[in-house]
Amino acid sequence: MTRAAGERRINFVQGEFKVSDDPHVVLTTLLGSCVGACLRDPVAGVGGMNHFLLPGGEVGPSKESERLGVHLMELLLNGLMRQGAQRDRLEAKLFGGARMMSGLSDIGRKNAEFAKRFLAYEGIKIVGGDTGGEHGRRIQFWPVTGRALQSYISKVVDTPPSRVVAPRANAGDVDLF
Amino acid sequence: MAAANKLEVMVVDDTSVSRMLMTESLQEIGITNLALAKDGAEALTQLKAKPVHLVISDQYMPNLDGLGLLKALRGHGPTAKIGFILVTGSPEKSLVDRGRQIGLNNFIAKPFTTKAIRAAIEAVVGRLT
Repeated sequence: MTRAAGERRINFVQGEFKVSDDPHVVLTTLLGSCVGACLRDPVAGVGGMNHFLLPGGEVGPSKESERLGVHLMELLLNGLMRQGAQRDRLEAKLFGGARMMSGLSDIGRKNAEFAKRFLAYEGIKIVGGDTGGEHGRRIQFWPVTGRALQSYISKVVDTPPSRVVAPRANAGDVDLF
Repeated sequence: MAAANKLEVMVVDDTSVSRMLMTESLQEIGITNLALAKDGAEALTQLKAKPVHLVISDQYMPNLDGLGLLKALRGHGPTAKIGFILVTGSPEKSLVDRGRQIGLNNFIAKPFTTKAIRAAIEAVVGRLT
């Protein structure tokens, strides 16, 4: 992997998000079953990315963990808007959501579906990306230009979230979307 | 005590999914007289025309944020006494302290649960029946 002169790489892990309007910044992360949403306002020249995995069983993320997912997407949206982005100009690229282990429920696909539903509901257009499959991905995202590069990698162990606190139980049975 | 089905509540949030989640939780509690707004400015216009008993508002929104809305409501006679609960993903103490100084009644941290919403509302309006 070659680096351009003056490039500043910011690596981040599950449960985190990063926002930047610095053209020298490249956001990088490793995705297995996890999903990374890259969002950018091309007019304001600001972009950001998150990295999440909503826990769930056979049927996918529970209602409680979908609430957590909404929260994590909102944190990224708020971070972008604090740096001048406008919601109606945002465009998205989605990555990750691989099926890393056969025989278990396809939690990666469920997570990607969650992200797609969220973006559709918020009216944020998906302009690129790649989800699903059976390989992990290394993602590089240039938040100002919106350029994104992925390389497949054979093994990714989804790291535990760094700062995510799961919502408490008794969240009620709420149907999302 | 307050009758849930008589309580008029406005939900203010710029994220459609979050407005829907809050609406569904409130309906589970029995609160069905709901108004919605997508930011503080829209909420202020609606509330000046038709006040409600309680506002549940996100903090970070374009045009006018949650505490900006609270300040505007407190400074306008007909809306000055509306109950106000702030919903925020990062309930920093300084934010809540600043809110308390201008009349914030309570706050809810995201991601929220229906139980937490009910407790926060009851702390403001009394036990819901």
